[in-house]
Amino acid sequence: MSELELRLASLADAIDYPATPDLAASVDDALASRPRRRLRLRPLAVALAVALAVAAGVLASSPGARSAFLELFRLQGATVTRLVSLPQVELVAPDLGERVSREEAERRVGFELLAPAGWGRPDAIHVRDGRVASLVYGPAERPRLVLSQLDGSVWDGFLKKAAGGGTRIEEVTVGGERGLFVSGDEHYVMYLSEGRVLDERTSLAGNVLLWNRGPLLLRLEADVSRDEALELAEEVG
Amino acid sequence: MVSRPPTEDELVERARRGDGAAFGALARDHQELAFRTAYLITRNAAEAEDAAQAALVKAYYALPRFRRGAPLRPWLLAIVANEARNRLRSGARRESLALRSAHEAPAGDAAPSPEGALLAAEERAGLLAALDSLAADDRLVLSCRYLLELSEEETATVLSLPRGTVKSRTSRALGRLRQRLEVTA
Repeated sequence: MSELELRLASLADAIDYPATPDLAASVDDALASRPRRRLRLRPLAVALAVALAVAAGVLASSPGARSAFLELFRLQGATVTRLVSLPQVELVAPDLGERVSREEAERRVGFELLAPAGWGRPDAIHVRDGRVASLVYGPAERPRLVLSQLDGSVWDGFLKKAAGGGTRIEEVTVGGERGLFVSGDEHYVMYLSEGRVLDERTSLAGNVLLWNRGPLLLRLEADVSRDEALELAEEVG
Repeated sequence: MVSRPPTEDELVERARRGDGAAFGALARDHQELAFRTAYLITRNAAEAEDAAQAALVKAYYALPRFRRGAPLRPWLLAIVANEARNRLRSGARRESLALRSAHEAPAGDAAPSPEGALLAAEERAGLLAALDSLAADDRLVLSCRYLLELSEEETATVLSLPRGTVKSRTSRALGRLRQRLEVTA
């Protein structure tokens, strides 16, 4: 240790911290009100068979698509539209964007990435279009969990998701903020930027939980039930 | 015959199986460091308490995914640090770090701990002020290493950084701290 390091180390016992509250007691109370569930995540099947990317313009311009409109759900940074049936689509490979370091991802998106507690470091971090960061857990070809995030206050409407008539969309609450749980095998995402269609891609074959956390829009995809997704979302911090 | 207290590994195993009391014991063992970690990040006692408490609850639910045999402390502190960083977005007032001796001892009487004997009170205050003036990333890595006395490996886990990055960031932060001290000397 250098002299400076020794001097710093000598501060350890000299800091006037506020008294430590009895956190264990508060935690006991919190745990008593919410029993733990057992959650085992299965690998996501890459959804080329059902993950269908649409030319976004089709949805925007097709009278058929418009007339088939069933419901529209809004979150900050995202809209989810439910249609009677999905338009004709073009198959494309999933693309989470360029693989980068966490620091680089945070530099590009401009905020600190959130991660689920206890999962350790993600197996990969990707950034797409400089705006959407995705943390991937598990092998790239069969991830168990993908957590994507973007600043919904800056890019409101950036993420648009269309869902077929057979897809279930439920409004949920995560940490006191609004969210949507989208389940079923007939949904896909379209990415827009500043009102302009950038691209559209398939995603993976899990169910999707979208929710707001302050200015951020978070998107969690895993092969889980609604309750399991909500439990995972509570762990994201 | 007096039975021995359970080891941390045994408490972890029991808590993994849903024993809230076992987790409570773990929380008690780690709550001070958890709170201080949160405080060093948030610099706000109320936010630090909220963050540390929320993090411990999350840790309990995440425990089934905790790798058996891995050290618990950095894993817990990583959750705390994440939670505390999220709170920084709020507009809460940020407090400056202060030295205990400034409150407990009369002016000029350093009353140092064994480690603190290395420095006079004024020098320590200057060092703390210089540390406080660093950018958040620099301050955080030095706080983990020297104020919380975490190892390089633990710091890497807590800050979700590769160990090499902790090493290089620490080195650069020490360099910048040294420069600040030279300027103010």
